[in-house]
Amino acid sequence: LFLFAVVMAAILLFTMVFFTIMFSDLECDYINPIDLCNKLNQFVLPEMMAHAFITFIFLINGSWIAFIINAPLVAYNINKVQNNKHMYDATEIFRTLGQHKKECFAKLGFYLISFFYYLYRMIVALINES
Amino acid sequence: MAPPVPAQYNQQYTQPQQSSIAALTNQFSNMGVGGAHLIPVHLIGMPPNVKDLDDSPPKINLPPNTSVTPSDKANCDPSYKRSTLNAIPATSSLLSKSRLPLGLIITPYRSLKEGDEPVPVISDTIIARCRRCRTYINPFVTFAEGGQKWKCNMCFLSNDVPSQFDWDIQTNQQTDRWKRAELNHAVVEFVAPTEYMVRPPQPPVYLFVIDVSYPAIQSGAVATAARTILESLDRIPNEENRTKIGFITVDTSLHFYSLNSNASVPQMLVVSDLEDVFLPQPDDLLVNLTESRAVVESLLRSLGDMFKDTQIVGNALGSALLAGFKLISPIGGKIVVLQSSLPNINPGALKAREDPKALGTPKESALLQSADPFYKKFAVDCSRSQVCVDMFLLGSQYSDVATLGCCPRYTGGQTYFYPAFNAGRSEDALKFAHEFAEFLASPIALEAVMRVRASKGIRMTAFHGNFFVRQTDLLALPNVSRDHSYTIEVGIEENITTPTVCFQTAVLHTTCFGERRIRVLTLALPVTNSISELFASADQIAITTLLANKAVERSLSSKLEDARDALTNKMIDILGVYKSALTSSQSGASPQLQICDNLKLLPLLSLGLLKHVGLRASSQIPTDLRSYAMCLLTTMPSQLLIPYLHPRFYSLHNMPQEVGTYGSEGTIMPEPLNLSSEKLERHGAYLLEDGQNIFIWIGRQVSPQLCMDLLDVRSYEEIRAGKVSLPQLDNAFSQRVNAIIGKTREMRRGVYYPHLYIVKEDGDPSLRLWFLSHIIEDRTDTVMSYPQWLAHLKDKVNISFL
Repeated sequence: LFLFAVVMAAILLFTMVFFTIMFSDLECDYINPIDLCNKLNQFVLPEMMAHAFITFIFLINGSWIAFIINAPLVAYNINKVQNNKHMYDATEIFRTLGQHKKECFAKLGFYLISFFYYLYRMIVALINES
Repeated sequence: MAPPVPAQYNQQYTQPQQSSIAALTNQFSNMGVGGAHLIPVHLIGMPPNVKDLDDSPPKINLPPNTSVTPSDKANCDPSYKRSTLNAIPATSSLLSKSRLPLGLIITPYRSLKEGDEPVPVISDTIIARCRRCRTYINPFVTFAEGGQKWKCNMCFLSNDVPSQFDWDIQTNQQTDRWKRAELNHAVVEFVAPTEYMVRPPQPPVYLFVIDVSYPAIQSGAVATAARTILESLDRIPNEENRTKIGFITVDTSLHFYSLNSNASVPQMLVVSDLEDVFLPQPDDLLVNLTESRAVVESLLRSLGDMFKDTQIVGNALGSALLAGFKLISPIGGKIVVLQSSLPNINPGALKAREDPKALGTPKESALLQSADPFYKKFAVDCSRSQVCVDMFLLGSQYSDVATLGCCPRYTGGQTYFYPAFNAGRSEDALKFAHEFAEFLASPIALEAVMRVRASKGIRMTAFHGNFFVRQTDLLALPNVSRDHSYTIEVGIEENITTPTVCFQTAVLHTTCFGERRIRVLTLALPVTNSISELFASADQIAITTLLANKAVERSLSSKLEDARDALTNKMIDILGVYKSALTSSQSGASPQLQICDNLKLLPLLSLGLLKHVGLRASSQIPTDLRSYAMCLLTTMPSQLLIPYLHPRFYSLHNMPQEVGTYGSEGTIMPEPLNLSSEKLERHGAYLLEDGQNIFIWIGRQVSPQLCMDLLDVRSYEEIRAGKVSLPQLDNAFSQRVNAIIGKTREMRRGVYYPHLYIVKEDGDPSLRLWFLSHIIEDRTDTVMSYPQWLAHLKDKVNISFL
């Protein structure tokens, strides 16, 4: 189980790195906002789905700690979807660019920490098995 | 040997004395370094002097020899570009300490009236630009090495002077480089060589998307529009005979018109497939205006009658826009939408979501947001293909200006709203025809991009106006309309070490006669370290424009109440900083409110902004009117915006003799009065105008002679209130009043043609209330009067800066 979680966390981590690189490209004029939004919007929903899926699996598996760590982020994502703010809007993106970047960095840090945590749990589980 | 020494001695002795005396007198007469005067003015207890609204902004005191030539045009004219502060703070901590907003108001394409000089054009394509920061050469560079190199005033890099600077190619002679326009004028236009073009310059393209559903025909909008286009065909910019024109009419299906120049009558092609729009013919839908002129004219003549008997109530604007986009996206151009009903067929269907119960509550702000993302996405696609959308909304019912206004906002167009349009009323038809004709006749700039560069340490933080932000500081404008202004907020990133700072705006555009040009506007401002000089060089009109833009943005992104509160807090901050930093009563309560002379009308203007239709706290303002007011607030140049916030108020019944007659500079206008109802005398007639509407208020006890002279009725009771056109009677009074109204209508730049309303003192209460809501110094039910507002500000200032 935790192996799967580690893999998923790695994927989410890479996604966040991709987002961050795209944002810095926008600032340096390598990409225009329309293309940026088209590319990023493709990945926003799958990322949220993947994260929610992992959290759900933790829940049914009974790993309460992992679940509780991830729950606030899921709640935040659901809030965004309900307010229709999860998609990036080409016209507003320059105004809110700072906020988006901070959010990306925060998620990056969070996924990194959770990656290492799952790794640790996986190793513990493997040790316990053997 | 001996003679020079005493001479030197003499000089040394007298000069320090003179300079110390001069320094003393300087200190006595000025309060700031560099000659900026800080004159404190008491606000409470004195009515504001409204004539000072016309004053020019504080003088820009540049250190001498900043500009290369002594020309007086070397610094930018405020009507093209003005800054909120005419002296830039050296550090960002000084700026934030003063709480004054720093921004630029740019109107790059100002329309020129008679007597205005045209912008000098440099037609030899020698464009000298800095190698590193790509700044254009301007009057504030320094020449080095005996004129062989020039030093950029933004990044201080030495660049080579192009060899042709001194040599005129056409006449093969030496020319004086100091006479070159780009070193003498701050506003110049370069003709751009081919490196600046992605594709050959596009011709102007006008595509008219006309609503022909039942409400449109009933209100006469279609007939009036067709007639106006017919009459304006000669005025549409068409100098090289390349202009293209096309028509699409919409109800529940799309009608295209094949305008082949060889045919004598146009052919109508109906497309009913709305989900997947396609063009019925590959060509002849968009034709060259000159070649197909006869066919176009016959189409316009028959357009009114073609749909006379239609009973269709549907409208598929979304599909029409997509079809129009498909038609002109290879070239780019302008889509002019004449809409009279709410589009109710997908894609882009809108519901009548106006809710009178929600007005005045926090939920009202949701009604100001766009309802359907289709229009925003469409606008973004348009901006990519250099297509601009302008909306003329002529509905008699709810037209959802908030959603439809998104299209012009992101494509550089404009929204024009005519509530309750009915062509049967001659005033409505006249206003629409006039504004539409002016709109078609104005020379536009096509496929434009705009960028503002500034000296080291300064960064543009936010942009307001009708455009699309393509990159961090590049604004894409598919069309640059006349007299649109763009507001840019400026922030200071690093401390500024140079004595002056330059802002250069470059607009790369294609003119409507097919030439690629770059309009460069350069503004140089001194740098200061003293807060008193900052306050003394603040431009209250530019600050008001910036605050208006920010308030509109705030109310769209969060709530109207937040925007109002933010505005009030900003005023409190500015007044508080003035009090604590620059007056003798450093802290503690004081009974008087002080501000410096050049900002003394700022509280009045901010009160006008708070009471304005766009932002007022009221439960009776329809959402459409509010959205339209917000559209206007963000695009109007300062010259139009200030009368819109603070209307001009004149008394007519006691005008001096020469007012209204033709003087040396045109019709002499009467003195403007303060906007307070204590000026309204019982027997008086008054004129109030804000650029969009003109009101004539008739007091109850007005003399019958005045009624007779002005309106050809015998007494007060017979006056008909409401929207009228003033009769042109034979007597002197009527002629003078008509002259004043005529001058009002054309004295400002812009296409707007104000309606004239007659308001009787005890007449229709809603009309009276509307008139009185413009009298901003008074109190109404929900908002404060000017003295109350000042008292409120003073209390808050005393509390927060205790």
